[in-house]
Amino acid sequence: MKKECIAMLLAGGQGSRLYVLTGDMAKPAVPFGGKFRIIDFPLSNCTNSGIDTVGVLTQYRPLELNSYIGSGQPWDLDRSDGGVHILPPYQSATGATWYKGTANAIYQNIGFIDLYDPDYVVILSGDHIYKMDYSQMVEQHKRVGAACTISVMEVPWADASRFGIMSVDENDMITEFAEKPKEPKSNLASMGIYVFSWKALRHYLEADEADPNSENDFGKNVIPAMLAAGEKMAAYRFSGYWKDVGTLESLWDANMDMLARDAGLDLLEPDWPIYARTISLPPAFLGREARVEHSAVSRGCDLEGTVLNSVLSPGVVVEKGAQVSYSVLMPGTVVKSGAVVRYAILGENCYIGENSRVGSDPAETDPDQWGLSVLGPGTKTEPGRVVPAKTMLDRYGKEVAR
Amino acid sequence: MKGMHGIIFSYERRNDLGELTEVRAPASIPFGGRYRVIDFALSNMVNAGITDVGVVLHGRYQSLLDHLGTGKNWDLSRKRGGLTLLPPYADKPKWEDNAFRGKLDALMGIRSYLDAIRQDYVVMTDGDLVVNLPLDKMYEEHLKSGADISVVCADDSFAVADGTYFEVDQDGWVTDTLYHIHQPRGRRGLEVYLLSKELLIRLTDECASHDQYSFRRDVLQARRDQLKIHAFIWREYAAQIRSVQEYYERSMQLLDPAIRRELFCPQRPVRAKSSDEASSYIDPQTHCVNSIVGDGSCIEGTVEDSILFPGVVVERGAQVQGCILMKGTVVHKNSVLHNVISDKDVEIMDGRTLMGHASYPLVIAKGSKI
Repeated sequence: MKKECIAMLLAGGQGSRLYVLTGDMAKPAVPFGGKFRIIDFPLSNCTNSGIDTVGVLTQYRPLELNSYIGSGQPWDLDRSDGGVHILPPYQSATGATWYKGTANAIYQNIGFIDLYDPDYVVILSGDHIYKMDYSQMVEQHKRVGAACTISVMEVPWADASRFGIMSVDENDMITEFAEKPKEPKSNLASMGIYVFSWKALRHYLEADEADPNSENDFGKNVIPAMLAAGEKMAAYRFSGYWKDVGTLESLWDANMDMLARDAGLDLLEPDWPIYARTISLPPAFLGREARVEHSAVSRGCDLEGTVLNSVLSPGVVVEKGAQVSYSVLMPGTVVKSGAVVRYAILGENCYIGENSRVGSDPAETDPDQWGLSVLGPGTKTEPGRVVPAKTMLDRYGKEVAR
Repeated sequence: MKGMHGIIFSYERRNDLGELTEVRAPASIPFGGRYRVIDFALSNMVNAGITDVGVVLHGRYQSLLDHLGTGKNWDLSRKRGGLTLLPPYADKPKWEDNAFRGKLDALMGIRSYLDAIRQDYVVMTDGDLVVNLPLDKMYEEHLKSGADISVVCADDSFAVADGTYFEVDQDGWVTDTLYHIHQPRGRRGLEVYLLSKELLIRLTDECASHDQYSFRRDVLQARRDQLKIHAFIWREYAAQIRSVQEYYERSMQLLDPAIRRELFCPQRPVRAKSSDEASSYIDPQTHCVNSIVGDGSCIEGTVEDSILFPGVVVERGAQVQGCILMKGTVVHKNSVLHNVISDKDVEIMDGRTLMGHASYPLVIAKGSKI
């Protein structure tokens, strides 16, 4: 059945810069902002933009992600025609390969895309937090008759050398693309969101696959090749909230942004809902001695202690006399009485024993020694254990180096 | 086929619920910061492995239809069986004025549905009951006791509007059924009944042919010498939502952690319609204690001893004490609310003061703006 536009979501990356948090799961499955996981953002954006067919390309540790996506029902993507499809690498008559790069992952699924005979394909990543109407981007792509449209946003000039930077002409057509340039010519950064005319992309994917020297990557190979061949490449300006949560610091930042009204990430507004698969838990309870300030709380939370400037996912318990501040607590984590958690990310189902101390306040720490403390999912700290700032523990309580 | 079939009765008969049932049947009253009353009956059935559930509808059921949908949220959207909505008097040849007289009347109204039940046993429950009941245990006890009918009793004789009470002997057999009594005695019946499909159909037909319509009068009382009636005694939290006062007091009990552990025990999760609200936000200026807070709320004022449903907004300077605020209630700046039950989408403008009392909570009807 023909679809005008479908989306392909790249969700196979390991997310190695999230270290222990992605030890057992792919980055898009990492919990975010209380009740969500990172992948809820692109999936909800698709549904809200009217895209009802989404291929999710998985490779690294897909179990958690697969079971989370399931039939796609929470995102209204359980369709009889289209819907969400998990696309892992597969074996074929000529052998089997992993997805060698972002472009190769799409190349290996040309058959899936051709099933829907789309005019346009939207390529998304599974590690960004943002709300965006893709239909407007596709609309612009059609209007200017581009072969490829790349979503861009203005970043501070000082940061520009960390991004893929686009130079554009007066009509916002891309004239030059530079990956992490030392001397950026523009401050328009690529957000890793592309709209392609399928015919054009199909052609370049085949050419890219035939080139033995290619790394099969969109940013490094396919986009430069299209630009070099003189294809019409447009920039689509985006000005809302967008954050790549590929590092521990940026993941923590984005969680804190959710609490700040002026950061632009308002998840309570009803016009552009972010959907998530939810679990059956009763609403949150704040006890008689609870002190909860400037924090997000979710269903199943049972709070008797002090929680300041923190994001609590479903099922988090903070016992009497425990203190949690400037931290992100993922689902099912328990902080026992007397424990202190500061500037930390605690993975799912962590257990912080009585009077343990995890992380520390930057004001009270030597700046060289300071950093976020991070515990992998399922980590237990025995009572009284001290986990200093900038320390990372895996589920066995062993220290892991960054 | 072995196992149980579930039937839930959603009546319109209770009238002590005031504004809360102006727009809905008691079964779809919001409860506990997230649920509708019927979620408990449905979850009890699903958690006991019941796959087929019929819901007998009566008046004002639009809200219930919206809530139940296909039954997907309770895993009851199945190819065979699953959730069946039974509109009032599906089998009645013509509409009569006073549509509902009693449970047997309602059963006669769905007579052909009863024939089609695949399971050997049927558990019937009222839609106004809030309890986390292990029906599978009740089923086991029923089979072991050799009873014709099992009834569920609470461990108290708490007075409820239009309550049914049982005298139970030391072996658990029901010796008498009482109702319309001035001073409740015996054990409070929770109006949950388990019996074989065959007996249910026989009783329904017999009673229909004698124009008998009340299950407790014409079956439990009148046939107590012919039927062996066994009591399954439930010692934990069980609330029947039949008056505003009862709704209020039973809701407030949820602030007790021991009661919450009984009603929300992790082995038998209570399933509800999934909602898409984000996590709630609690502001730095807030004092929010001893309260239940639903998802997607934004709390900037003072909240004490209250139950907040999803999407509630309490602005700066507002004080909420001993209140139940349903979905979408907005309390603007500097308002003071004590012992108020606000229905869905109520808006309290700046600086209003609304005072009820724990013994007489003030109910504000759905969508009101004050």
